[in-house]
This record gives sequence, C-alpha cells and structure tokens, in this order.
Amino acid sequence: MLIDHPLLGPRDEAEFVILGDAGLIDRPDWQAEDAAQLFHDYLHLRDNPAGEHRELWFHEQGDRSWLVVTRNTLTHEIVRVELARDVAIARGRDR
Amino acid sequence: MSGPFRLDGGAVDRSRTLAFRFDGRSLTGHPGDTLASALLANGVRLVGRSFKYHRPRGVFTAGSEEPNALVELRSDAHREPNTRATVTELFDGLEAWSQNYRGSLRRDLLAVNDLIAPFLSAGFYYKTFMWPKSFWEKVYEPAIRASAGLGRLSGEADPDSYDKGFLHCDLLIVGAGPAGLAAALAAGRGGARVILADEDFVMGGRLTAETHEVNGRSGADWAAEAVRELASMDRVRLLPRTTVTGAWDHGIYGALERRTDHLAGSNGKPRQILWRIYSRRAILAAGATERPIAFGGNDRPGVMLAGAVRAYANRFAVGAGKRVGLFTNNDDGWRTAADLARKGVSVAAVIDVRDREPAAEVPGARIVTGGRVTATRGRHGLKGVTLANGERLALDCLAVSGGWNPNVHLTCHHGGRPVWREEIAAFAPGDGRPGGMAVAGAAGGAFTTAAALAEGHRAAVEALGGLGLSAAAGEPPGASDEAVEAAPFWHVRESRGRAWLDLQNDVTVKDVEQAHREGFRSVEHLKRYTTLGMATDQGKTANVGALAIMAEQTGRSIAETGTTMFRPPYTPVPIGAFAGRSRGREFQPSRLTPSHDWAARRGAVFVEAGLWLRAQWFPQAGETHWRQSVDREVRQTRGSVGICDVTTLGKIDIQGRDAQEFLNRIYSNGFATLAVGKVRYGLMLREDGMAYDDGTTARLGETHFVMTTTTVNAVLVFRNMEFARQCLWPGLDVHLISATEQWAQFAVAGPNSRALLRKVVDPEHDISNEAFPFMACGEVGVCGGAPGRLFRISFSGELAYEVAVPARYGEALMEALMAAGEEFGAVAYGTEALGVMRVEKGHAAANELNGQTTARMLGMQRMVSKRKDCIGNVLSERPEMNRGDGLELMGFRPVDRSEPLAAGAHFLAPGAEAVTENDEGWMTSVAWSPELGHSIGLGFIRNGHARIGETVRAWDGVRGRDVAVEIVPAHFLDPDGERLRG
Amino acid sequence: MAEFALTARTPLDGYDRTFGGVTLAEAAGLSLVSAAVPQGGDDAFAAALAEGFGASRPSTGEWVPGDRLGARILGMQPDQLFILFEAPDPDRAAEAVSAALGPAAYVTDQSDSWAMLRIAGRGVRAALERLCMLDLDDAAFPEGRVARTVMEHLAVIILRDGADGFLLMSPRSSARSFLHAVEQSVATVSG
Repeated sequence: MLIDHPLLGPRDEAEFVILGDAGLIDRPDWQAEDAAQLFHDYLHLRDNPAGEHRELWFHEQGDRSWLVVTRNTLTHEIVRVELARDVAIARGRDR
Repeated sequence: MSGPFRLDGGAVDRSRTLAFRFDGRSLTGHPGDTLASALLANGVRLVGRSFKYHRPRGVFTAGSEEPNALVELRSDAHREPNTRATVTELFDGLEAWSQNYRGSLRRDLLAVNDLIAPFLSAGFYYKTFMWPKSFWEKVYEPAIRASAGLGRLSGEADPDSYDKGFLHCDLLIVGAGPAGLAAALAAGRGGARVILADEDFVMGGRLTAETHEVNGRSGADWAAEAVRELASMDRVRLLPRTTVTGAWDHGIYGALERRTDHLAGSNGKPRQILWRIYSRRAILAAGATERPIAFGGNDRPGVMLAGAVRAYANRFAVGAGKRVGLFTNNDDGWRTAADLARKGVSVAAVIDVRDREPAAEVPGARIVTGGRVTATRGRHGLKGVTLANGERLALDCLAVSGGWNPNVHLTCHHGGRPVWREEIAAFAPGDGRPGGMAVAGAAGGAFTTAAALAEGHRAAVEALGGLGLSAAAGEPPGASDEAVEAAPFWHVRESRGRAWLDLQNDVTVKDVEQAHREGFRSVEHLKRYTTLGMATDQGKTANVGALAIMAEQTGRSIAETGTTMFRPPYTPVPIGAFAGRSRGREFQPSRLTPSHDWAARRGAVFVEAGLWLRAQWFPQAGETHWRQSVDREVRQTRGSVGICDVTTLGKIDIQGRDAQEFLNRIYSNGFATLAVGKVRYGLMLREDGMAYDDGTTARLGETHFVMTTTTVNAVLVFRNMEFARQCLWPGLDVHLISATEQWAQFAVAGPNSRALLRKVVDPEHDISNEAFPFMACGEVGVCGGAPGRLFRISFSGELAYEVAVPARYGEALMEALMAAGEEFGAVAYGTEALGVMRVEKGHAAANELNGQTTARMLGMQRMVSKRKDCIGNVLSERPEMNRGDGLELMGFRPVDRSEPLAAGAHFLAPGAEAVTENDEGWMTSVAWSPELGHSIGLGFIRNGHARIGETVRAWDGVRGRDVAVEIVPAHFLDPDGERLRG
Repeated sequence: MAEFALTARTPLDGYDRTFGGVTLAEAAGLSLVSAAVPQGGDDAFAAALAEGFGASRPSTGEWVPGDRLGARILGMQPDQLFILFEAPDPDRAAEAVSAALGPAAYVTDQSDSWAMLRIAGRGVRAALERLCMLDLDDAAFPEGRVARTVMEHLAVIILRDGADGFLLMSPRSSARSFLHAVEQSVATVSG
C-alpha cells in the first residue's frame, strides 16, 4: 500500500505502523461520573466496517507524524489522509 | 547442425555450439535455444515422468506454462528441481536430469502406479488411507511421499545469493509482445518513465515465433528494432527474463528478474532479484496461453500444443517431429500446419473438429474436417493416432490447439473474476482489476497482431493522458488481421483410454466427472478434491478445459461455473528470492554497544537482546562454567566495584514548557514535583491499567528531561508518547527525540564506585554523598572536559552511578573506568550478573513486567496516583485488578537451601494436586545468590504479603521438579536500602 | 591534566572505499543538532534561523544551506529540524546551536546518534535501488530533498547533496550492518 502523506506525498506502507481505529483520539474525561465505563468503551468497543474506516497510522520510519487514514477495508482504497494532530485539534483536544 | 530435428532459419546462433548433458548424455545446441528446444532438436522426446502415475511425458509447450518438461538443473548444491526446460536458456556446460522415476527414465519401476490407476482416481487418498488411523504417519504417508513428489532438493544450503530492489515508473508494461512493444514505443517516445518487463530472454512475445509481418517486415525483425529503439531511451527500462508475478495495492507490482540463470555461474552476483515496482499506471500485455483438447492418450510424448510446435519451428528452427499431424478447433491451428509445411516439415494430416472448409492450404496433408482423435499409441513417444472414423495415422508429433486463453491472472489479483466471452470462447479480464491497470492485446482477448498493436498503442496514450503526460504522436504499427475463429471444443467423448486435463497433477476427464458424481459442485471444491490446477504450473493449460467439462456435467454454462481464484505468484518464485539477503548473520541487523569491541577483546560472551548484542559475562582464565564468571562479577561488584554497559536502555530527550506536565500524564506516579538535578523512578501503564514499562527520568533543566526506558520497549514507549503528544494533548508544548544512540552509558556499582568515579569525573564536580545524594543527576566534565552526565541511580542495590558520555567516547570511557578501577579490583559485569543482582534486590524486570501484571501485583500500588489524569489510571481501578487476594510479587527461597529453583514453576499448596484449580501463582525469575549461597526466586503468589514464612511447593511439570519453597519479601538484600544511600 | 583522556572513535572508523564508479566514505567532522520549534514559536524560530545561520526554514522533507559553519538545515518533522554543521568545538555542538538560536528552539545533540556515509558516483542510484524504496529520480528527489526512511530494516536519513551524491545517516549502533548493506549493493552493481 501507499499512503499519501499530507506533507511528504506517497510513501510505502512499510514505513508506517498501524494502531487502529481513529476513535482512540477521543480519550474520555478521567473525571467524568462514569469514567470507568467511558474508558472501557473507548478502549474496547470498535466498529469494524466493511468499507471506509478511519484509522491511525504512525510514520515511524519517516517524519514521526501520526496520521488519520481513511481507508476502504474492502478495496484498500485510501480516500483521505490527514495529520492526526489537526484532527485532534479539530475535535477539541488541546491540553 | 545440432541434432537431427534441426531446421533452417530461426533465431538460434549457429556460429556457436553449446555442449550440454541430459541424464548424463552429451548433446549440443546453440545460443538462442532453450533446454527444451535443444532436446527436441536432438530427438529427445521422453523428458520426465508424471507426478502420480509415472506416465512418460515430453515437452508440451514452449513457455512458462509447461506442465511436463520439469528437470533437475545443475549439480551438487546448485541443483534446482522442477525447473521448466521450456524457459531454461541453454548455456555451455548445462547439466540437467529428468526426475520423478525410480530405476531409469525409460524403465521407471514406479510406472506400476499407472497399471493400478483405476484405484488411484480422484479422492483416492482421502478414501483409502483412512484406516487404521495409526497407519497414516507410519506407513501411508512415507510411502506416498516416496513415490510421489517431484525433483530432489540438493539437501545443501543454497550457494547462490539473491537480492531485492525497488523501481519506480509512470507506466509498467507487463509483456513485450506486439501490444507491449507498441505501448512502450508510444510511451517512451513521449518521454514517460517506462518499465517493460517480459519473462522471455528475447522480447517480442509471439512475434518471435510467428511469420506475421509488422509494418511490412517480419514481426521478429520489427520487434528487434523496437527493442533497440527502446533500449536507447534514458527513461525506458527493459527487464527481459523478468516475470511480473503479482499485483499489489496502489500500483505496486512484484517482479522476479533472473539475472544469471542463463549463465554457467553467478560470479558472486545475485542470481535473481525480486523487485517491488511502484507504477502510476500499468498495462497488462501478457498475451494468451494455448489450451489443449482432451482425448484418449493425449499425454503421450509427441503430443504438443500447436503454437509451441510452431514456435519451435519458426524461432528455434526445430521440427517437433518428422511426420506431424494437427488437431484443432480453430483457425490458428492451421497456421502451424502451414508454417511447418513452409519449413519443409512433413505435415501428414490436419484434423479440424469443425465441419468446414480448410482454413489454409497444406500441401500433402490429409485433411479431416469434423474429425476427432480418439486414441494414441507409442510407449515412450507418439507413433500414431486413431480417429473417430476408425482411421489410423502414423505420426510422431500431434500438434493440438483448443484455442487460446487470455493471461488474465494479474487482473484478478485483487479478487476480480474474469468474464466468459462467448465470441472468443475464453475468459477475458472482468471487473475488479487493480487500479490503474489497463489490458491490451491477447491478454484482453484481442487475438490478432493488428489488434494487439493498436490496443497497446491506444492503452499507452490513454494511460499517459490520465497522468497528464502525452504519448508521442503517430499511428500504431500496422499488421494484417489473421483469421482467429474458434469453435469451443473441449474433449473427445469417443476417446479410448484416459483423456488428460492436468498433465502435471495427472487429472483426467474421468476424475472431474467422478468428482461431480460425488457431489463436488463448486469449482473451488473440484480443484481441491481432484488437485486440478494445484501443481507448480497452477493449471495454466488445464483449468479452462476442466471447467468446461464440469459445466457439461452440471448443465450450467461455463460462465456460470466460473473460475477458481487467481493468486500471486504468476509463476513460481524461489524461496531464496523472497529471503533476499536476509539469511544467516544478515537475517537482521546487529546493534553493538559502544564497548562492544572492548568486550570482544576481553573474550565476553554475548547475548542477543532484541537486535542488540550485549556482553552476558566476561570469562576469565580458569573459569570453566558460566556460573563461576557470574558469581565472581556479582561478588566483586558487591564487594568493591563493577562496571556494566547499559547503553541499550532507551533514552528519550524531552523538552518543552509543558514537558513536566506531559510526564505527569505518561507516568502513573507523580512527576509534578521533580526538581532540577533529580531523578525519579517512573512506572508506565497501558490505558487498560496494566503495567508495561518502567525506568527513570532525570530533570536536567527547567524545560529539559531525559527519560530511560527498558531496552525492549524503547521504540514502543517513544511511539506511545508521540501518540499522546500529537493526538491526546496537542496543545502541550513538548518535544521528543531519541537519544539512545547519542550517549554511551555505564553503570558503576559497588561500595567503591564513588572512589572510582572521583578519578574520572573532573575535580570541580563534588560527587560526595552530601553534594550528590541518591537520585541526584547533573552534567559533568569527564576525563578532562569531555561532556558527561552523571546519575546516582542503582539497579544493583549498591551505592551506584550511571555515567554517560557522547557515544564516540564510549569505548575510551570503558577503558578509563577499568583503568581507574584497577586499584579496587573493578570488574566488568554482564547482563547475567546484572540479572542476579536485580533478583537479589527484588526489582521487577521483563519477566515481571510482562504486560499481564498490574501495579498492585508488582507492589507498586502507591505509584498509581488517584489525583491526576494519566494513561491507565482510570482502568487500573477495575475491581478485579484490586482484589484483596490477588497475586503479589514475592521472594521465594528453597526450604532445602541446596535445591535449585526454576522460573516457570507454579505454586501449589503442600499435598495439592497439580491441576489448574489449585494453581496459586508462578515463579518469574530465579538466580543463584553468591551472597546468600543459595537459589532465590521472584514470583507472583496469591495474597503473598499475608503469607510470609509459609511453605508452598514450586511445581515444575516441564522439568519434572517439585521443590518446597518459603515465601519471603522480594528484597533479599539490604531491604532498607542503606547501601545505595551510603 | 586529567589522569585519563578520552579519544573519540567514529562509527565507521573513517571508512573510505571506491568501487568502480561509486565512492563510499564516512562523512567526518560534522555535528548534528536537532532543533524543535516551541508551540507558537514559528516566527521567532524563522527569525532566529535567519539570524543564527543565515537560512530560511525548510519545509518537512527539504533541506536548505545556511551561510555559516557549512550549515545545512534539514526539515525532519513538522516541528523539528536538524542542523548539520561544522561545529567549532564538536563537544559543544548543542551549545553552539543554542547560542545561535537562543530560546527559539529546544536543541538536542544528535551528532553521535548517527553514522554518516557519503555515497557518490555514476552508479549511485543503481546501488541505492537495491536498498531504498524511495523514488530517487531527479524529478522526484532532487538536490535539496531529505527523507527519513528504512533500508534493510534500518532507519536511514537520506539527503541528496549532488547530481550523483547522497548523504546517508543510520543509527550508530547498527552502523556496521548498515555499511555492509550499502557496500554489498555497491559491489553488486559495480564491475
């Protein structure tokens, strides 16, 4: 596979490490009332779509960017690649 | 003239003669020959025995689809079994042996299998060798393996080398026949980066084997001229002898280039290269493969594909027989007859299954339209055939054409299925092709030369257009449209004797029919039950015919019957090519510590720790057992001072305004109050609350920290911290960079460590206990101004330091430390002594931090802060992980102090049966303590702290041991830590 | 005078060898310091880089020359750059960059983290295509480009500094494995 890195262009999958569902960005609030349940769901409940899936890839042998790659799990077509940092900020993560 | 069957003309170089041996017999051929063509030229027709029935077999094709002519090539360690003679280029001194027989090729003792063939039909093994069950491994399987199987492996290590590589192009063209060459010319002339790959050693595809004209000259000449032009283009790369074996995602293709297989030796260079080709667009111009017609005895040597017979005559100047017959269902078959006649080969008969006018004039030939061949005769080679009308013809070669199958394989590597096209009676590429791939020429079902040239040209223009590039202006090369009409015809019903479909795996029409009767309706089941298409040729000449038979049986159409899945590789790839250079010591890189050469000079024994090689112990003269060395290293360290290279620990440089806050969230214990110049031990949890790494972090400045991780987790911790930094808390100002390689770091441990370091650390630094207490750190000058870092930390439990210098000074510092320590009797110690001392001290390491243990189990529950957000703290609260009677890390000592302990033993109550329900925990680490004089262990046991003094059993079913042990605190030495604070 | 003195050893012990048209030589005398850009500090960093090294900030994947100390500024990560230069005192390389950039960057010495190997000559790309999955074509990877990638299981920073020349950097501890891999590729395609 080739991942079209937003800063570097297409790079071979061999340079990357996959983590999994991009939902891992949305880490719950540790002080929430039901924090244990929220963390349980955050960590263990995943969709496994036959189709487009947003997933986290780390450009370990590259620029060390975490990326959110939207990949079709049926065809391996990659429809979008974003810097995970930008995604995280857009989803309200900060400090 | 080399051989009685050699004709005039062709593309062999008669000015040179090549000597070769087949089954020990000396023969000759010419440059341009394959082993198969040279054998045929010499009249060698019997070249091997079939897989199952040991039937005599001869050359069947002239290409990579060959099912029969498999030989053992070369000798000794270079011997390679199952090599297809049809694609083996002849070289001077070539040696080959036929395979798969016992006794001699002509009198194969295992040919008895053929006599009992009625019992060996489809599913025979499954049905026959079921009982008694115990016979399978002992009797049946060895016997079957001895009689089946193909060539013999040399049994020696492969002496050749292999390589891999990476290529990039705008346009990859697979196949250099008329379509591929036309595409390459259009793209190359337009300036695109082109790779043109072809499995043959001469580019041109069928043009090399035909008499067609292109642009008014012979097709072979036109192809040669096109190749010359392409070779002169900087941005065109020609890869002859290269098979594109698979299509992967996003325009990536795998290709095997055979660099030296056509030479007598490799001269130290890689024999083959496995390329990964990155293409923006690809054109599949892989041509088509001819298919046979099944009839009685159609496996006899001398029965060949018609296109192959034509190729041997036109390209290799070899007559496949002296009296040749044709059996065809299509116009193309007639061309073989015409070409042979033109070459002066006697064509005795043309039998066309179609009831129609002859498609060509063949002087002197008996023409039978609407004819059928029902049987053949001849023991080791064809002597004649019988027709359905009872007519018997004397022939030594029967050229058979059942039509052509487009080579659709690469179009199906992403799960696509080919579609049946009635008008060409063949499967052609369907949907689901790899992205960016176009198909041109016969691979797409366009069977005429003119169509191939035009399609190749157009495909290149379109592909480049899609990339915003332009192909050269101009028209495609022209050629006449040959007649290619075909009538579907698969097998002769009136056959006498077995009609063969899969020649390599010995599958007959009857086997397919039987499989159907037994209920195998899916083609995938048919394949596995009969083994059709499962040999090394993957049924390239067999599958479609079998599908047609199956369709007949079921009453479904061929289109409805469908094909089995096509998977890479297109043709076999040697395991050596997949391995490339990764063998022996080069299987993986080695990481060496800064003191590696020093340690090697000292005779250290090394151990692999991940990629690292670490000194395990340093044997001295007179020490014959590793324990002697390790005990000495431990005693001397605890008694005076020892030095250990600890560079392999991961080091991460952490800087930023929010670095401290960041660390506070990464570690489970508090880091908010760490002062500059101090070090703190830290525990890391996974988000699920389990412990996963530990280490120390030193604060070198207000915004500057340096963390150590365990050796094995260095990469993972870095990755997780980058995740936290970029994805969880992108607003924190924190920056990470690995410094593992930057600093050579040495533990200096033992009561004399301070005295030793006073001689090495520059005198302006006060390292007294008051000025530089336990858990202090700072930047220091070393050996007269070299930049260094000093940490007062201890893994051994002794007064100890770690001192670091830039890696370039590492070896020199090791020497300086040893020299400075000479007066104290300083020793170098390795990872074994390190392990002994940490077990004595009760420190958890990888055996305890194995990803399945919690802070509570490790006795570190106080190191999980409840007052801050950090990775893992929420889920570490789960009730099951906080049970009062949970596993706890404890020490263990044998009741009988002379008993050794073993890691992996499980704890049982005295008298309890060794079953899972009685399991109370397990031993994680053991060591022999020189200081205590007996074995000690660490382990997890239920409710351990409440059971100190209790005796349990350490039961080790694997090693057959059962030792009574006493539960003790994990700290065997200096429980209050007086030594390390001294 | 201290009782013990430390002599430096380079990762490749000064390796220098020519195979046919390709020269392989350890790049000696270079210091390498990483400079991380504080959050919100991009303008200050650009100004400091111009002031301290006479260089503009390269984007990730590019390098630019500075006008002093032979400096080359390498864009390694979105917020991290490497400064490759001839430090007046290699033992104080990080301090030198710190002095030049002031508080506009967090600096870390990386000089000893990497073995540096220069590969140059006509056959250089033929040798590298056995190792490097990146497209090193003139159009795809011209002078002025730098990339971190992987070759033979090893991390490698590759920087193009000439028509037929590249600087390769790979972790120091595995330098011998790396040199062997490069040597083998060069030997294979030469002669």
